[in-house]
Amino acid sequence: MRLITHNMLSCNIKGVTNGFPLRIEAGNVIEKEVEFNPDFLRHMFAKLEWKALVEGARSMGYAELPEDSPDAAVLESDEAFLKKLHHALLELHLEEGALVCPETGRKFPVNKGIPNMLLHEDEV
Amino acid sequence: MILDVLRTIRARNLQSFGFYSVGSSRMRDIKVKADPREVLTSSDEEEEAVQVIESVSIRENEVSSSSLSVKSTPEIEKKYVHRVYDAIAPHFSSTRFAKWPKVAAFLESLPSGSVILDAGCGNGKYLGLNPSCFFIGCDISHPLIKICSDKGQEVLVADAVNLPYREEFGDAAISIAVLHHLSTENRRKKAIEELVRVVKPGGFVLITVWAAEQEDTSLLTKWTPLSAKYVEEWVGPGSPMNSPRVRNNPFFSLESIPETEVSTKEQKAENSPFIGLESIPESEESTKEHKGESIIPETKSSIVEQKDEKSVQDSLEALKKSQQEYFVPWHLPYHRAEVSGASASALASGLAKKDDRKGAVVYNRYYHVFSEGELERLASGVGNAMIVDRFYDKSNWCIVLQKAALNQD
Repeated sequence: MRLITHNMLSCNIKGVTNGFPLRIEAGNVIEKEVEFNPDFLRHMFAKLEWKALVEGARSMGYAELPEDSPDAAVLESDEAFLKKLHHALLELHLEEGALVCPETGRKFPVNKGIPNMLLHEDEV
Repeated sequence: MILDVLRTIRARNLQSFGFYSVGSSRMRDIKVKADPREVLTSSDEEEEAVQVIESVSIRENEVSSSSLSVKSTPEIEKKYVHRVYDAIAPHFSSTRFAKWPKVAAFLESLPSGSVILDAGCGNGKYLGLNPSCFFIGCDISHPLIKICSDKGQEVLVADAVNLPYREEFGDAAISIAVLHHLSTENRRKKAIEELVRVVKPGGFVLITVWAAEQEDTSLLTKWTPLSAKYVEEWVGPGSPMNSPRVRNNPFFSLESIPETEVSTKEQKAENSPFIGLESIPESEESTKEHKGESIIPETKSSIVEQKDEKSVQDSLEALKKSQQEYFVPWHLPYHRAEVSGASASALASGLAKKDDRKGAVVYNRYYHVFSEGELERLASGVGNAMIVDRFYDKSNWCIVLQKAALNQD
């Protein structure tokens, strides 16, 4: 699971209103190189919940992202920043661990890079 | 046609870039300073899937729609969709290679850099089809998702009726041959609502489903129409069979049906051995088996008491008039079945049967095929989306929706 996906995932248990972002419990994280594409990153930026990304990256062992969401100028021309964003968003993979609902504490397992977000009968 | 319009929309002219390229020399484990917590595995769910299936027992008061969430998986889907795909995943995947041109065209028309959500992605056939876009796929079948993951796709296990996604993240979404596996109208509608919810305002959604109007009408003889008995047992809220008249009738006693009754249609149709066909309206994937005799459909129900004749007759009439519920067989060759341990218990529990003549384990997949206009009708009930294209292609009904854009003041 990459952080781009984590930034979208939310706990959908019945009645939960604060299911995002899921807290990451990282057991095993690996890196896989992906071609750098700044245009894609700029497109993605508008979708991202920045704090969730920073916190998620930290949980995965990467603390290089700035705490505060960068402004347009940085996004446009700061390649060093874009490289960090690229690395965090696309190159880190959570292979083993869990995603934890902030409201209920429910753990969604991640095994072999695959999150299992299926709910139990009593959670729907 | 809308696809021409889509082609002219270009946010930025991006070079195609490989999201899935892996520089293996750069792969390394990162030592994380978090406490290693106990990691839950998915094996529990797999265990569940291979347990002998208990008989289905639905008490009368549970039939009422208010007590059953639309997001609860009905038994018929657990047995005749989820477990089947789990058992046949690798074999199924090996037959799923041809890219349907209409889907490919839709995906290729999307702007570079789009985030595309594929709900019910199966073996991931369409993930990455447009290399300039980023795909995130989900499916309810872990074995199928594993196949996607092995190909380097970004995937997760999730339920299309209840996507674990916050809203508006996707630029577009697709649902290719998925909704026909949902057994109630409410669930099918919910799945459409989910697709619309997770895309951005102005985003597009492509949905395709098997049509009741098959181009090859001989295929229909190879499918098994569900009898009224099964519809009563397993079709939940939203079904015409679950109308108040039916529900409140104390004589519709839904007794448990032991597993072996799954095969009763075979037992009764003595003169027509059950030979099926992997019916694949996506015509490029022609099956090897076109021979076969049709099964005698069972239309009489032995479970239903006849006290309220009128409502029973009404329901059976409705069923006969619009036969859209089917079991479509899948033949899993023996040599493939051994690889997946699920077949042994599927056979033991009656979920599947052996066909020695064909050397295959035969599974049934549940389908609700769509009649003309049905998909549109369902989609037009979704408030904040418009139908921008509709077509029939290769025995599938298809629509493209566009989510309402934000109001410009």
